[in-house]
Amino acid sequence: MAVGVAGTAAQADEWQDPNDVLQMLLEAQPDSKYLHQSEMNIMMMPDNPALWLLDDGERLFHEERGPNNASLESCDFGKGEGVLEGAYVELPRYFDDVGKVMDFEQRLVHCMKEIQGFTSDDSAVSQRHGSGSDIMRLTTYIAHQSSGYAWNPPLDHPEEQAMRDAGEKLFFRRGGAMDFNCAACHGDSGKQIRASVLPEMRNSQEWTKAVSWPAHRAGQDNVRSQNHRIRGCVWQMRHAGILPDTPVNTALISYWNDAARGEPAILPDLKR
Amino acid sequence: MFNKNTVAAGVAAFASVALAAGCAVADGNKADDVDITAMSAEELAEHLIFETNSWRDQEMQEGGTWRDRMTQDEIQKACSFDSTRNDLDGETAGRVVALAREQYEAPEGDIELGDWRRGAELADSGFGYRIGHNNDDHGTREQGGNCYNCHVMDSSVSVQGTIGPNLENYGAQRGDSQEIRQYVHQVISNPHQYFPCTQMPRFQGLLTEEQISHIMAYLLDPESPVNNR
Repeated sequence: MAVGVAGTAAQADEWQDPNDVLQMLLEAQPDSKYLHQSEMNIMMMPDNPALWLLDDGERLFHEERGPNNASLESCDFGKGEGVLEGAYVELPRYFDDVGKVMDFEQRLVHCMKEIQGFTSDDSAVSQRHGSGSDIMRLTTYIAHQSSGYAWNPPLDHPEEQAMRDAGEKLFFRRGGAMDFNCAACHGDSGKQIRASVLPEMRNSQEWTKAVSWPAHRAGQDNVRSQNHRIRGCVWQMRHAGILPDTPVNTALISYWNDAARGEPAILPDLKR
Repeated sequence: MFNKNTVAAGVAAFASVALAAGCAVADGNKADDVDITAMSAEELAEHLIFETNSWRDQEMQEGGTWRDRMTQDEIQKACSFDSTRNDLDGETAGRVVALAREQYEAPEGDIELGDWRRGAELADSGFGYRIGHNNDDHGTREQGGNCYNCHVMDSSVSVQGTIGPNLENYGAQRGDSQEIRQYVHQVISNPHQYFPCTQMPRFQGLLTEEQISHIMAYLLDPESPVNNR
């Protein structure tokens, strides 16, 4: 399996347009059924509807909002207060202020609660899905600042390594009503569930596209997150219903992003 | 359900976590105080599943809670290795086959085929046992077999998956003897008897015997479109 084409990683420490990243991956793997499965989506990529969320997301990030009338400019996503460039691809990570590993959405919600004073009941944080939600607008704007950067979730802290390793166990853990694990769908190359060609987790260039959320899902006509993808996979696997901002969710994302390490992220992406 | 026994397995999992967690369990705030770096990856995975409130509190269609559904039975445990990097070893394969044979309940007497038309509908239906943000309600719609998700059975209808083998002309190539019917019933009910650690679900307990007979008819009846490709 072709993994890691020379030149890809070398360019991956600077911002790149998501369509340019996609084109680079398509050229690197001309035979990947997963990467090439939707000609229409590839054509649509320069006009990705997810890009429409960027302006709203930028406004929401800088606006003084919530009971505390504060902006998110003092939120630290791991690279310093208000530093967004390259931050999204270096998550999940351990945060000293909370003493645990957090994934992106969990960190965003943490900041909206701690800095802006929103509570779990406020729609600003309770509504997680859909292009019209504050969370997805903010997610798309913040993630976009990392487009083209290589996935590089830190593993220096022992808890980061522990969560990534537990995520690996979860990925292969057979369970639920139908005995599935994540590898049932993502362990082989070029396989289909119905019409969907599945990404192979060991092919890091397929996998970087697979984990590159937020993405506009054409079939759902909405921008979706990594959390939404996990929720859908767990639902289809007939495991129990998973909750956001929980350690199982974070551990899975730790493993996901680590499996795409070194490959540039497509942010936002467009998927079927 | 036959494969969701395992109070014992659950207790064992909790015991190992409690050991690893040491005194932290005592003060009641487990999730926050446990030293996750002191556990093995496997212990931590079990700890995250069972001790961190990561699941919705819902009743499962087969009865029981998320805890019952997420508790592994012996076959699930044995098959949780990294299949992308390791082959199934012979000892595990033998043990899984033996466990599957133990679980399997053979029908009494001769096996009759059901209605292949009903089997076609069941093969196409992905409904059933999904839980979470949108629950499948078995009171309003019967569970399906999900066969098309992974198998091509009749390529003239719908789009079908390729995770499992192509089953077109399955019965046309094998005939429809009692021996074949017994084998197909065994494979649908508990495929680990022949394919240890297969990705295919064990349908005995998920589908009724009547539903299985319809799907068997879809595969074996000479009139079925599966056998006229």
